[in-house]
Amino acid sequence: MSSIEPSSQQRSGMAAKAETSGGAEVRPSRTLWGDAFKRLKRNKLAIAAIVWILFVVLVALTADLWAQQWLGSPTASDSTLLAQNALLAPGGEHPFGTDALGRDILVRVIYGARVSLSVGIMATAISTIIGLVMGALAGFYGGIWDTIIMRAADIFLAFPYVLFVVSMIAVIGRSLTNVFIAIGILGWPSIARVFRSAILTVKENDYVDAARAMGASDTRIIARHIFPNSVASIVVYATMNIGGAILTESALSFLGMGVVPPTPSWGSMIQDGQAYLTTAPWMMIMPGLAILSTVLAFTLLGDGLRDALDVKMKDA
Amino acid sequence: MADTKITRRAFVGGSLAAGSLAFLAACGQKGAPAGGGSAAGGAAAGGTLNYYISNPVCIDPYNVQETQGTQVCLQLFDALTTYDAEKEELKGLAAESWEANDDATEFTFHLVKGAKFHNGDPVDAESFKRAWTRVVNPKSAVATAYAPSEVSYHLSVIEGYDALSKGDTDEFTGVTAKDDTTLVVKLSAPYADFAFIASHPALSPVPEAAESDAKAYYLAPIGNGPFKMDGSWEDGQQINLVRNEDYYGEKAKLDGIHFAIFKDVETAYKEFQAGNLDVTDVPVAQIDAAKSERGESKDGYTMAEGQHMLLGGEPSTYYLTLNNAAEPFNNPDLRKGVSYAINRAAICETLFKGTRTPADGIIPPGIEGYTEGAWEFAAYDVDKANEYLDKVAPMKDGSRGISLTLSYNQDGGHKEIMESIIGDLAKVGVDVSSDTPEWGALLDQYADGNYEFGRLGWVADYPIMDNFLYPLFHTDSIGGDNKSQYSNPEVDQLITEARSTVDAQERVKKMKEADAKIAADCPIIPIMFYTHVIAGSDRVKHLYIDPQQHAWLGTAELSA
Amino acid sequence: MGRYILKRVLQFIPVFLGVTLILFALQNIVPGDPIQLIGGEKALPPETELQLRVKYNLVKADENGDAVLDDNGDPIPTSTWERYTTYMGNLLKGDLGSSYQRKLPVTEIFAQKYPYTIKLALCAIVLEAIVGIGAGIISAVKRYSFWDILVTLSTSVLVAVPAFWLGMLLQLVFGVMLKVMPISGAGSASSPYQDWMHYILPAITLASVSTAYAARIMRSQLLDVMNQDYIRTAKAKGLSNRAIIWKHALKNALIPVVTYIGVDFGAMLSGAILTETVFNWPGIGYEIYRAISSRDWPIVMGGVTLVVLVVMIVNLLVDVSYAFLDPRIRFDRSSKSN
Repeated sequence: MSSIEPSSQQRSGMAAKAETSGGAEVRPSRTLWGDAFKRLKRNKLAIAAIVWILFVVLVALTADLWAQQWLGSPTASDSTLLAQNALLAPGGEHPFGTDALGRDILVRVIYGARVSLSVGIMATAISTIIGLVMGALAGFYGGIWDTIIMRAADIFLAFPYVLFVVSMIAVIGRSLTNVFIAIGILGWPSIARVFRSAILTVKENDYVDAARAMGASDTRIIARHIFPNSVASIVVYATMNIGGAILTESALSFLGMGVVPPTPSWGSMIQDGQAYLTTAPWMMIMPGLAILSTVLAFTLLGDGLRDALDVKMKDA
Repeated sequence: MADTKITRRAFVGGSLAAGSLAFLAACGQKGAPAGGGSAAGGAAAGGTLNYYISNPVCIDPYNVQETQGTQVCLQLFDALTTYDAEKEELKGLAAESWEANDDATEFTFHLVKGAKFHNGDPVDAESFKRAWTRVVNPKSAVATAYAPSEVSYHLSVIEGYDALSKGDTDEFTGVTAKDDTTLVVKLSAPYADFAFIASHPALSPVPEAAESDAKAYYLAPIGNGPFKMDGSWEDGQQINLVRNEDYYGEKAKLDGIHFAIFKDVETAYKEFQAGNLDVTDVPVAQIDAAKSERGESKDGYTMAEGQHMLLGGEPSTYYLTLNNAAEPFNNPDLRKGVSYAINRAAICETLFKGTRTPADGIIPPGIEGYTEGAWEFAAYDVDKANEYLDKVAPMKDGSRGISLTLSYNQDGGHKEIMESIIGDLAKVGVDVSSDTPEWGALLDQYADGNYEFGRLGWVADYPIMDNFLYPLFHTDSIGGDNKSQYSNPEVDQLITEARSTVDAQERVKKMKEADAKIAADCPIIPIMFYTHVIAGSDRVKHLYIDPQQHAWLGTAELSA
Repeated sequence: MGRYILKRVLQFIPVFLGVTLILFALQNIVPGDPIQLIGGEKALPPETELQLRVKYNLVKADENGDAVLDDNGDPIPTSTWERYTTYMGNLLKGDLGSSYQRKLPVTEIFAQKYPYTIKLALCAIVLEAIVGIGAGIISAVKRYSFWDILVTLSTSVLVAVPAFWLGMLLQLVFGVMLKVMPISGAGSASSPYQDWMHYILPAITLASVSTAYAARIMRSQLLDVMNQDYIRTAKAKGLSNRAIIWKHALKNALIPVVTYIGVDFGAMLSGAILTETVFNWPGIGYEIYRAISSRDWPIVMGGVTLVVLVVMIVNLLVDVSYAFLDPRIRFDRSSKSN
């Protein structure tokens, strides 16, 4: 989940797996989601997380309607007014202060949410889709498929993660789309492993054998039997992965490899603030808090979902 | 350095409460005679100066190139000459005197007698020949151990350069050690400013050790300068120098120099604020605070008590390169119109806090031959911009239908400058979109002429007009530094004539003529002249850093 | 066990070849000519460029080390395959080539940088093991207590913090405001702090996230184990809670945590770009990152190769030690490689 060091997402994958170990055995129950929802409702932290995520999404989506009128442009700066606008401390007209070019930090944080959320969601979607396909091939068919895919996953996981993303961005160029493509593509191995082991577990069950005996096709077995029975762990994993992808994006932007300026991104705002650490610390503190709160919300939601969906943990 | 460390550990361990300055002074005392006081002793007379650099490419003269390596190399080595920017004259350093023949094809240097390298070897004419040969020869010991020199071009005007650089021979035929103190240099074409080239640290002499033990020498060069190495270059960490007690000239006042290596100026400045550095560059974000806190130096080059902030101009120009060989910038009216539209003062004032100056030509002040307002089109004038742009495409509804692509690398603070320029051009109805590849990819585009306009900077190797006009505008430089692919036979002719003119004033006059001809075509757009922004600590009593950012540490002093 | 290790070591080979091939492919795909980059804003003269291309095996050369020219007098570039085989050949001899930008042999650069990465990783991992396991135990044993909530919440927060941001906050508070810790670097003669003090803030930064994970895994594992039948049996037999935890539960619950920490150690040994960037740390992570942007392929190749090998070896050691810790696992039985 941390995007910090090379193998960040892998580590989070591992951690998620280790934390839920044994939990992959999800009870095949029609009331699973109903039960889960009831349990989730009792989890105050998870509810707070949902509220916060909805709030951030709402703010990001509606920003065009109100943010610029109130706080000014998140990108353009007026050079003639620079002297009185630059590096103002938080307060009054600028609740989060202003940056070196006199732009309001709050409005940049708000627009930065768009980048972070879209990267988080799109990258996770890409990793999940690739991961599911790969995991399904490896887990269901086994044999040579399993060997090839798992070796490929090994190569991906062995390669220092941030370096991989950085080189990939160097090849495909810098843009928002390319950032989530890069993060998304490189995130597949961990989800593939989760799905693969879920399949291996489910595959042993009698009802799969029964379905096969009744002549169901492979695709049908995967779609009707295996996927629904692994979906809980995938949902938990994907939720946590969104937070991970947001962190990775911020790390990339921090290294100057992320979204193309002047589009504000939380990571690039922290990078801008690095130079002003001693004179205008709010430049780096505010976007950092935004990352922290949003990623925290996704983590807590993931935790909540895990507890709610995980049969084994329910009794504990 | 090892013993210093032990001293320091013991000392710091003994009394943690002691201030940093006291123990730094104790460190610096290491060179003092034995018995001259225990570790806890008071401040030493000379002291060690802590100087920020980023990791150099090379400190061995054979491949010394950027500011960092040059800074270290200059303290270790004395080249034949040096440029005294204060007096605006070229002075002898390792050479007492020199003379050129009538058509500027042969230079004779007379060396200072009795000068010695740090290891005691004599600094003779042969040591210069040895040094220059190893720069050019791709099979020299150091080139084999590391890599061929990237700065051999300094010597390309000398006879025999081509054969030696191709590896056909080991002999640099144009360089002759006539006797111990007489060095004769034959050029393959006239180059009256050769004595300026000879001031470059890459042309410093080396002792035999440079050949016999190239690897050790690479990390701990033995020179003839006022300071010598103390230990080796610790990559990415530090380089330590101590005073050369046997220096032939006036001995240094400092006991030593500690070049502390940091990756970036922000980190260095934090260390400076914490009191761990005496001289550092200042990040733009800190300029205002530093100015008031450190006190501005009067001339911009000399630090003294209460005046520890240097804001002197440098012989370097930031410019937009325009692809003259292709649409749309093969149209001079567009070039001139765009140039007039750019508000250079706003960039300098707002983004650089007034620490850079708007360029009014390609030649910066401080270079002999600089003329104020030399380039007519290098000025901000919206009316004139519109006048020229109207010739290209008339304005309709706030747009001329001209769309350009500006290529630049967005790191290194270029982003803001380019955004400002894009804004200026929008005001005169020119749409500009950004193309921001990585630096390496951008260089490819420039080299292939695969761009419309982009940004570049030019830092002079030697403070002469030739070093701007020839590489940037001579036809022979196309494919090299002449990225605008500008070609004008008249300009070529004038530069060639100037090179064979021995009389300095006549030479500068010819160069100015060439400059004027270039200015009329406006092949590139000068934006601003660089300034160094350097702060010193209160410990620094005297320090002169010249326009080329060469620190004259041999004359620097710390307060006791 | 012997067969298992052999099998795993053999699996190194395709992974290793895959990684090196990807890197060589990258050299062709990524735009930017490394030799032009050496010159930067100042173009290198053609004769110098050619000398450098010969030196770095980018163009064909004869046995005298002179470039081979084609009929037009142009040098002939070497193919990717030629470069790959030459590189692998030299690699077997322990020669990783020299940096384009820095000229130093790659082995020398890493010999100098790697100790810093290892030392920092050791500090971080010790911190992670002690704090992570300790917090996890406390929080599981005193479930629903104040301490449990504190650990649960603070680990959630730590996992969500961008570590580079945490590093900057630590610099701001301890370096700039309180002035009790060095801000950056690994310690040198000019630093007023003792060398070990330079490790504190970077180690905290590097360890922060994984410490949180370690604590969470420890907690859930311990709770898990304590619910199992044999623990219940032990309880029923009247053993004290403390005895149960220390004698039975902990041993089993530790296995996944130790695995996690072990693998994490491997990851840390592959360098920490962000921590190293923030703290100006002279380790290999930043070095490799810098090399990618300056297209300094020999460093990228050597660095990534080194890192991949280290990670694979550490992971193997972790898996093997797993077998010793957990008697239920026997690798020699037909493989269910997971």
